Amino acid sequence: MSDTKDIKFNIYNPVITYEHRAAFDLIVSHLQEIFPICNQGKCKALEVSDDPQKQKQINDLMEKVEFFSNSLITITKVFFDQLYRAKQTSSQSISQSTAMIKIDMIERNLLERTCDVRWWALEKAFWECITLADQNQDQLTKIIKPTRKAPAKQSGKSSKAESDLKNAIELACTRLEDIRNSYTLYRDLVIATIDGTVVANSNAERRDSILGINVSNEEWFQKALQTKDGTEYFVQDISKSKLEDPDSLIYSTALRANGDEQGEVIGAMGVLFDFQGEGQIILNDYMPQDRSGSILDGWFSFFTNADGRVIGSSDEHFIPSGDLADLPRRHWRLTTPGEVLVSNAIVCGNRSLVVSHKSEGFDEYKGLGWTSHLVLPESAMFERSEENIDYGISPQELMNSKLIPDTNKQTYQEIQRNKGDIQLISINGIILATDLGKAGTSFIPIFDQITTTGNSTTGKMEELLSEMSADMLQQNLKALENFSKQAIDLIDRNLFERAADVRWWSTDHAFWEALQNNTEENFEEASKRLGIINASYTMYRDLVIADSNGRIVANSKSENRDKLKRMNVSEQSWFRQGMQISRSVQYGVQDVCNSDLENEETSLIYCGGILENGEREGKVLGVLGILFDWENLVCPILEGCLPRIKNEVVEGGAAFYMNDDKEIIATTDAENFPIGQEVNIPAENMNLEAGESASGIFTDKGRKFIIGSSKTQGYREYKGLGWTAHVVRPID
Amino acid sequence: MLYSTFYLGETQMGLPIPSILEIGRGFDFHPVRGAPEVIDGLINLRGKVVTIINTGLAFETQKVLASDESRVYILKNNAELREVADADFDIETSPDNIGIHVDRIADVISVEKEELQPVPANINHPFYKHVVRRGNEFIIILEPQKILNLNENQELLS
Repeated sequence: MSDTKDIKFNIYNPVITYEHRAAFDLIVSHLQEIFPICNQGKCKALEVSDDPQKQKQINDLMEKVEFFSNSLITITKVFFDQLYRAKQTSSQSISQSTAMIKIDMIERNLLERTCDVRWWALEKAFWECITLADQNQDQLTKIIKPTRKAPAKQSGKSSKAESDLKNAIELACTRLEDIRNSYTLYRDLVIATIDGTVVANSNAERRDSILGINVSNEEWFQKALQTKDGTEYFVQDISKSKLEDPDSLIYSTALRANGDEQGEVIGAMGVLFDFQGEGQIILNDYMPQDRSGSILDGWFSFFTNADGRVIGSSDEHFIPSGDLADLPRRHWRLTTPGEVLVSNAIVCGNRSLVVSHKSEGFDEYKGLGWTSHLVLPESAMFERSEENIDYGISPQELMNSKLIPDTNKQTYQEIQRNKGDIQLISINGIILATDLGKAGTSFIPIFDQITTTGNSTTGKMEELLSEMSADMLQQNLKALENFSKQAIDLIDRNLFERAADVRWWSTDHAFWEALQNNTEENFEEASKRLGIINASYTMYRDLVIADSNGRIVANSKSENRDKLKRMNVSEQSWFRQGMQISRSVQYGVQDVCNSDLENEETSLIYCGGILENGEREGKVLGVLGILFDWENLVCPILEGCLPRIKNEVVEGGAAFYMNDDKEIIATTDAENFPIGQEVNIPAENMNLEAGESASGIFTDKGRKFIIGSSKTQGYREYKGLGWTAHVVRPID
Repeated sequence: MLYSTFYLGETQMGLPIPSILEIGRGFDFHPVRGAPEVIDGLINLRGKVVTIINTGLAFETQKVLASDESRVYILKNNAELREVADADFDIETSPDNIGIHVDRIADVISVEKEELQPVPANINHPFYKHVVRRGNEFIIILEPQKILNLNENQELLS
């Protein structure tokens, strides 16, 4: 029997919608009407029969009707409570996922930045520039300090030292620009001498005001000098810097003599990540919007730093960056990485649900102790879904599906039982009345009325249950859509980084020098450089260089070298694409397929053209191919996007990517959704346009699944390969 | 006359209300060793021993299984039938109270005599007495005496 003592959402709770309050009133008032009818029945029993046994039987029946009516009133209260609890639980679970997705998205991005800065600091042009600047302090002052302008072209009167330094600074600026052109996530990149003087930067528009600035009192610079070797880096949390007006997030590491990872510290490199721009994209994502594309009122997404200050916000007007977050303190004082806190609070004048998720970093990057917060109006959790799409599933089937919590199913069964009991009592009453002959006929309308009331109230409750199951379906479909969007966004962002990597690496001096002067020593040097890159970045199986004939001449992994050196890749797509490249901002990609470069394992290969003299535009000498560690990196992404209940993956939940030919190219469930197979998913999910998402229901091998799907829209310069991410869960 | 209707599988059937003593659910059936399979068992109804027939097996369809929806019709015996006040019907049951186990109950319907139609020859069955049409649905009115006196239907007992 249901119990009302733990009811959280009673009918006077302000979150109960008007429609539900009206439905509650209707049900209860109908049930209340039964009591006078029962009294009437008891009185009539005395009127129509002198037989005490018959009187007692009728009285017993009436009392049973009263009992079940009372029981239904109680169940109605419990039922509304459960209806709202189910909606609340489902909303909270989706909100938690959303808050987590956002912080995960940014942390994955920042992990890449830590790899970038460590590798870039080894660039020859940078340490050569710093070395020369250190040796020619006077000339440096003359070149930079007076005008803080880009070094002018060499004049006839300049000394050789001054002219060499000018050239070195010019080359360093050019190389920094190349990085920024390949990786468009940075506002600027700078290198500074050991005394803190900035001698080169990437952003030509700001160069006048940047070169010559002394950053020796900035934390990012000081900590960079303290790094022990080339594997260490420092990240300065969002704060003010002389280098730019907006608050900066700066990654830094030391520049070392001769580009040796263990070498003496000679200066520092700082890279200024466009946190505000990138953060804004992530914060605005996954938020409900009105028709004009504005985020709905009362919905906020923002990050706070370890001190509780807002560092990025979806609404700078209500939750401005720099302020302490207007939340109960416990929300920004979370201490344990991965900790989640959900509570109800007044935020910006609204009763809101507040979900906070403390970052746990990503992989080897431990993060800066940031927290992602999602705020939504409390009423949004309980709104009826406006969408009324027929997915071809009956309310009964939905009600019995796994989407509906067991407690709600039990209540449904209790309602059904009570309905059956009232029906049974009514019929038995009619039987008794019939036994009384003509005198009993006056009972029949009473029992008819009881049956009608029982049917109408339980019918109304079934309607509400059906509404609830439709809402639960909508919520779950939306959640799967979000997961699929997360899956495609994560892979797009990851592959954007690969596209950036290959473009920049292709310009490395060791590679074009080896192809221009093809000696064994030069190829050895190129292989060594590839080896250093591969040690800095964890996501590649191997990096290879092919000459213009398709012969592999260098690679990062020495254990593969003998096999690769006998190989000709001139017929392979990635090589042919690479040989078409004439500008350093271009790249090519060979979609996922089995490659003989990797013993016929599934590969995703990015390529960049190695151009003559490392120029930005020119003749291609050969191709750099980078072999993305596809399975090892893609599977954790997909696994992170699986539907979960209380952190446990839903039984039978699966996620997979499909390529443009609708074939599965990666999966979390090789048994039911194997690689290479096509799946009979709904056409709406199959035929999406770039950036679109959809959800639906389909049947596979006799099991009914719900599915959320999102098609790639690419990310920045990476245009995507037409892939679609799908996340499914069985419901029967 | 009023009829209580119920379902056996997808077929709707009816019994005259005066023939019913009461309808119940959740009875414990006591199995009887050696009894034919069509007998679900015995129940104790306020001191009376009542034999319960599984209607599904009686109609040689699918056995009615006890469930939240299944119900037991306890039919009056002939003596009880005669006690019904102002009786204006011609129904016989059996000398003993006997129950029938059905899949689920449905509405009580009122049927005028002229609505009772003979059972078409091609669906004839010893237990069927009449057919009533309600909209597009047909309700088969049963002959209680035939179901209850199984001794006259020896094949069911074999």
